[in-house]
Amino acid sequence: MSHRSFMMSAATFAAALSLSAAVAQAQAPAAAPAAAPPAAAAPAAAPAAAPAAAPDKTREKEADTCIRTKIWSGYDQGWAVRNATSAKLGGGEHRVYVITLEAGLEYKLLACGDKGIGDLDLVLHDVNGKEVARDSSNDREPTVSFTAPTTQSYYLAVYAARMNPGVITGGVATAVTYK
Amino acid sequence: MKIRHLGLLSLVVAACSGEPPADKPAEKPAEAPAVEAPPADVDKTFDPATLQAAAEQVALVPSPAEMQRSLDKASVNKALATMVKDRDIQMGVENKDQIAVRCGVVLADLVLTVKDSPKETVVARLDRLAEGLNKLGAGSDVQATIADMKTRVLNDAVARDELLKEMDELSGVMVPELEYEAGEWVVPLIQAGSWLEGAHLVSGALKEVGRADAADNLLKQPAVVDYFIKYVEREGSSKAPDEVVARLKETLSTLKVVVAKPTLAAEDVDTIHSATGAVLTLL
Repeated sequence: MSHRSFMMSAATFAAALSLSAAVAQAQAPAAAPAAAPPAAAAPAAAPAAAPAAAPDKTREKEADTCIRTKIWSGYDQGWAVRNATSAKLGGGEHRVYVITLEAGLEYKLLACGDKGIGDLDLVLHDVNGKEVARDSSNDREPTVSFTAPTTQSYYLAVYAARMNPGVITGGVATAVTYK
Repeated sequence: MKIRHLGLLSLVVAACSGEPPADKPAEKPAEAPAVEAPPADVDKTFDPATLQAAAEQVALVPSPAEMQRSLDKASVNKALATMVKDRDIQMGVENKDQIAVRCGVVLADLVLTVKDSPKETVVARLDRLAEGLNKLGAGSDVQATIADMKTRVLNDAVARDELLKEMDELSGVMVPELEYEAGEWVVPLIQAGSWLEGAHLVSGALKEVGRADAADNLLKQPAVVDYFIKYVEREGSSKAPDEVVARLKETLSTLKVVVAKPTLAAEDVDTIHSATGAVLTLL
């Protein structure tokens, strides 16, 4: 990969990752997959929030840079990216993404938390909510690898299990890659 | 290029400064009391209702390149790139829903063919994409990115493998950016155009090689169809009569019935191919 194209891609990617947080917000009330269980009446329960702190843009950029690096290094091993998105999470909070995984493809689901996040986890569930894979190791760069037996919708939950002392919210970037 | 990079980085900073809406599960009301997060060694579990209520669909739809890889994994020996029609999809229409769908088709064709198409073809498609995205209100950074690609293709200054990575990134990255700038309905309709083109090519490949048995895993995606229907029929969509959008609604209704079947048969593959083709031939 040429340095020039990496620079261009990196800048573009960072912009999109940051902006896609707004996308995710806009799409949140969207309908669930057809085969999913009945809708719940209330939104997902998240722990009560801590007092808001001034947003730290550096932290979000840090997560974006981390996921961008993983995606670009993945290209060299035959991985391609479907989508990357970013969000902010506080301790105990989560985001959930519904994703279609195609039969036979290998998927590597990646997430990066910034340095304010002590432990970030990824949990993959099938369309019925049954857990099929997780990375709950005690770090902030979880990866879940999964090969779908049949083409189906899955739920990917990104969970900030622990924040580092004194940190209220942190930046989290998530990507769906495949090969 | 330095100036351009600085410009893009400025956009990154500007983008980061936007505060997301306050109604998300992950967002915190400022006055709420602090609560301890669970210990790290306790595995958090999610019940189905929680998952469904919180689910965001930004990553729901497979990309055309992903469809090609699925085809390969299913041992269907057909390159979708060879089935892409050599056509000039015009962007000179008024209906923005239709422009978004057209952009999606062009984007799919670009991703699938960028490795092997003559540079004139790649450039023509990049031009059409830039024109369509401009009409949808895409920002100058997206236009600059496409213009930069075009220049390097014209000058043979980029390897096609490298360009494929950049196109891959463009299709997965430009989309969120567009949604931000042009409205939240744009991305799903661009995705709809790309997915329709992909589904049309995949169903054509299955017909050609007589592999309807692989259709369940390659074409049966009810959640994706429902997602598109939601946006095509959204409040505030263009009410002006438009042949393409009307046909798209009809096609999605047909697909919804077909993909709801327990198993897809050869005639279902035919239906998917003709229903998706009915939209694409109007473009």
